Amino acid sequence: MAAQPKPLPTEPQNYLQGGGLIGWLTTIDHKRVAVLYAVASFVFMAVGGLEAMLIRMQLWSPDNHLISAALYNQLFTMHGTTMIFLVVMPLEVGFFANFVLPLQIGARDVAFPRINALSFWVFLVGAIFLHLGWLWGGLPDAGWFGYANLTERYFSPGLNLDFWVVGLLILGTSTVLSGLNFFVTIVTMRARGMTFMRMPMFTWAMLVTVVLILIAFPPLTVGLIFLTLDRFFGAHFYQSAYGATPILWQHLFWLFGHPEVYIMALPAFGMISEVVPVFSRKPLFGYPMMAYSLVLIAFLSYGVWGHHMFATGMGPVADSAFAITSMLIAIPTGIKIFSWIATVWGGSLRMTTAFYFALGMILEFTIGGLSGIMHASAPIDLQQTDSYFVVAHFHYVLFGGSMFAILSGIYYWWPKVTGRMLNEPLGKLQFWLTIIGFNGTFFPMHILGMWGMPRRIYTYGAGLGWTHLNQLETLSAFILGLAFLAMYINLIWSTRAGEAAPADPWDGRSLEWSIASPPPAYNFAKVPEVRGRDAFWVMKYGRAGSRGIAMFMAGQTPPVPESQQALPAESIHMPAPSIFPLVVALGIGLMGSGLVIGEWRIIAIGVLTVIASVIAMGFEYPSYGQESHDPQAAPSSGGIDIRKVGLWAFLGNECVFFASLISTYIVYKSRNLGGPGADILEIPLTSISTFALLMSSLAMVLALSAIQRNDKTWMRAWLGCTIALGLVFLGVEAYEFTHFYHEGLSMQTDLFGQSFYTLVGFHGFHVTIGIIWLSTIWFASFSKKFGKLRSLSVELAGLYWHFVDIVWVIIFTLVYLMQQVKGA
Amino acid sequence: MNRRLVPARIAVAIAMLSAFISGCAARHEPPMTTLAPKSDLAQWIYSLFLEVTLWDAGIFAIVVAAFILAIFVFSTRVGEAAAPSSVASDLGLEVAWTLGPALVLLMISIPTVRTIFRSQPRIAPQGSLEIKVIAHQWWWEFQYAQSGITTANELHLPIGRQIRLNLESGDVIHSFWVPQLGGKRDVVPGQINELTLEANVPGTYLGQCAEFCGLSHANMRFRVMVETPDQFAMWEKAQQAAPLAADKAVSPSAADGAEVFANSPCTSCHRIDGVSKGYIGPDLSHFGARTTLAAGIMPNTPDNVAKWVTDPETLKPGVLMPKLGLSGKQLDDLVAYLESLK
Repeated sequence: MAAQPKPLPTEPQNYLQGGGLIGWLTTIDHKRVAVLYAVASFVFMAVGGLEAMLIRMQLWSPDNHLISAALYNQLFTMHGTTMIFLVVMPLEVGFFANFVLPLQIGARDVAFPRINALSFWVFLVGAIFLHLGWLWGGLPDAGWFGYANLTERYFSPGLNLDFWVVGLLILGTSTVLSGLNFFVTIVTMRARGMTFMRMPMFTWAMLVTVVLILIAFPPLTVGLIFLTLDRFFGAHFYQSAYGATPILWQHLFWLFGHPEVYIMALPAFGMISEVVPVFSRKPLFGYPMMAYSLVLIAFLSYGVWGHHMFATGMGPVADSAFAITSMLIAIPTGIKIFSWIATVWGGSLRMTTAFYFALGMILEFTIGGLSGIMHASAPIDLQQTDSYFVVAHFHYVLFGGSMFAILSGIYYWWPKVTGRMLNEPLGKLQFWLTIIGFNGTFFPMHILGMWGMPRRIYTYGAGLGWTHLNQLETLSAFILGLAFLAMYINLIWSTRAGEAAPADPWDGRSLEWSIASPPPAYNFAKVPEVRGRDAFWVMKYGRAGSRGIAMFMAGQTPPVPESQQALPAESIHMPAPSIFPLVVALGIGLMGSGLVIGEWRIIAIGVLTVIASVIAMGFEYPSYGQESHDPQAAPSSGGIDIRKVGLWAFLGNECVFFASLISTYIVYKSRNLGGPGADILEIPLTSISTFALLMSSLAMVLALSAIQRNDKTWMRAWLGCTIALGLVFLGVEAYEFTHFYHEGLSMQTDLFGQSFYTLVGFHGFHVTIGIIWLSTIWFASFSKKFGKLRSLSVELAGLYWHFVDIVWVIIFTLVYLMQQVKGA
Repeated sequence: MNRRLVPARIAVAIAMLSAFISGCAARHEPPMTTLAPKSDLAQWIYSLFLEVTLWDAGIFAIVVAAFILAIFVFSTRVGEAAAPSSVASDLGLEVAWTLGPALVLLMISIPTVRTIFRSQPRIAPQGSLEIKVIAHQWWWEFQYAQSGITTANELHLPIGRQIRLNLESGDVIHSFWVPQLGGKRDVVPGQINELTLEANVPGTYLGQCAEFCGLSHANMRFRVMVETPDQFAMWEKAQQAAPLAADKAVSPSAADGAEVFANSPCTSCHRIDGVSKGYIGPDLSHFGARTTLAAGIMPNTPDNVAKWVTDPETLKPGVLMPKLGLSGKQLDDLVAYLESLK
């Protein structure tokens, strides 16, 4: 008997429905991943807020004993770490960008959906790691930027900072993966007709932000690796007794740290640039300059890191250079402020809560920017840094800037994400409570700073004139707490009883408003064709907008665009969920745990779990293009395969990583005190392994050329050569390391030893990963499925392999050959 | 009155009120204020600060005015008859708000660079008084090379003379900050940082460590006594004099206290000239002459010294000094002895 055909559903499921708990654990839908990020971030927002409340309560009166010094130091450390890494960044990048970005460019998902899910689970593991101190030993307590050498084991013996170092390494991994993903997405998956100058400004902001992420995180990673080596393996990267300097940490950290604050600011700028035009019913003023100013801010942000170090004694030339560059960065920022105001000017304003928060952001961020100009002037900064003045400054830019923008974004995009409207009157109440609470808490801090109150002090003396302002701040902080409580109530109420949201509640300008609220899993029934900037507005009202004005005046609503029309879910194929992102994250968690408790077997299990899961992911179906399965045919707005773009972006990130390691090596070699030093190197031996590695690249080229003519046998032969030569390289290196160790050079000996082993060791690690990768391809090539897809697969591995080779040429030259040059 | 202007007027009122309050507040001079400079360095910074504040205020006024006008005057509301404009660019405006701020920043950067170079002379000025400052967790050591004086937590300086502080760290990064005498300078292990200034108003100024350095970072305070040259010379002489010998002790209790000290673990950490050679803790040779103890966290009174010696950890979490288990007459004698070390 013929089976009854399944009836087509009359309503397509939206992305929130179906799948159960397993559905959420294995999801790779960018919208679900975004929601996961949001839920986690809202939890951590409350945690970070409570930490702040406790800080303020302790500072109510002089010589207060509510909170001990030890607990206070943990509270201010965790407040900063939580708000930056577990609230602002995951909300802006993990939630808003993840949810909105693909919709704005007309894509069905991000470039690498499983890596997207992986980013979230790794983030969650890292976030939990940071908080494990609740159970064991105490939370991290050296400040969110943990200056060496206070962070050395001698001065901070407990587990507190072990959790911090490992937690941040894990969180950094998550962020870089997201950065790669969104970079490739924006570059390759824009709908037809969406040139760069037609992208929504939030998309622009995210593009620049992810480039910042890719280039800024490696110095942090390197700095954390050095701290890990110091704390766990007896190295001396930050100990002056060995000729090292704790200032190295500051350089590495702020090379990351300053772009980091722009990683937090730029998405906020992007969100404001979305909200203000929509609620002014006007296009964004000065679009080209708004786009270029984003790029200029990002570029300049790499040249200002020293302004965090004006008090460290860098000398007048460095101080002046950093002062000037820090002032320069105010110019593109000012352009934005003025352009937003010019957007509002002459507009037809709809005074919603989202708009209120956007307007509030403009003023509050301006105040933060103006105190920033003071900080840029190095002599003034010497009075203001490390005092409550700088605490005021960064809260005005990070809370008044990023958080206000996030709050605006929540009220703006909530209807799209949940299909419900938030309560406007409650939202307005939250807004006013926020304005009063925020300014009452943080404005007086400018004055306290000018009156000499240092930061990070768990108590202060009486008779300094600080008490009343501290009390005002504490009371205001409670008002601020009430504001957030109002928001949580609004969010929860809305999901239960909020008014159903239409697809386009705000008469929006960008493509996310052209589909249902909440969207179906596949986003667009038909990928839209983009005909101009403000793509959706053009779809509704035509290019000049005049038709729209007439319709608007006549009270008519524009016709439903094709992309919004519902289609049965079965007709669009979406990639299946995967459990491996979660498993990889758990493996990373095992690695971190093993390191902290000093049990190498757990580290090994973690490593094996990660490698096995990554390989398994590689054998799941290919990553997702636009509408078809076949990645060779995946259409891409840049014309380059998305995985190639991804790999190039990753290699860019790796360049900065190796550059940080190499720079440290060069600096520390010249500060080396005692020990065998670089004389221990044996150039003839290492020349052999270098030759082997160079020949392996040749073999790799031959392997690629073989598979391109579909010759699997010769491909395997040449690939085998590559692997064998790589193993020769590693073998010689292993011999070298063992030999040096017996000659007395170890991680603990001197600066040369630790820098050498770290730099060359990490390179060797990259070679090892390459060998595993190539071996996987070698074995996979026996499968019948291989022939169709995989010349690209070999090409990608080849690109990576050649990169690792080039890095070795640089290392060999700088470390080994330069030895021969007298005085090097 | 246009209803829409009400919020604008409220905003302006609040701004004026806060300015007024801040103004009032600034008139009463808190002890650690940066706004009442007492040295050449502090004065240069303060002048620069005033300049930048004026520029900032001007920019802020322009932004706020534009903001209020945009929202409350030169716009309509959804539902009103007027249609929105679609002006999205204006070359003149965009050039103006790019070049304008650039010019302002140029005006700020010139005095900035000048002050940077002026305030960081590479070599110590002629005739300057060089003092080595060694920062420890959580106290300050001061060594006057020229006069051979070593003391702790209280820095005496003469007016009218260039002072060159050479900052070294005994452990982690600290920061030397006396707001009334100028900006701060970090104290970094492995390098010597310099701070050069000339104090010009006698008085007692409060200082505090300004770089988080561990558990008792909040308790790492110090005092700077700026004195006339005569007062400073007198202080130097008193510091150079050896402490009174046991038979010349000021009281029997102090004499007994000297014995308590000599026979206690105190000697392994603290130096008293002619008595002990410990260098882990502050030099106590002239402890009695200091106005505060335990790095500026308490006034130096017999009661407080007794409290400190009985239980340092409670007053200063993380401190290396152990409880000595002294009480009763022994404790009183020790306190009397320490207070007698003028």
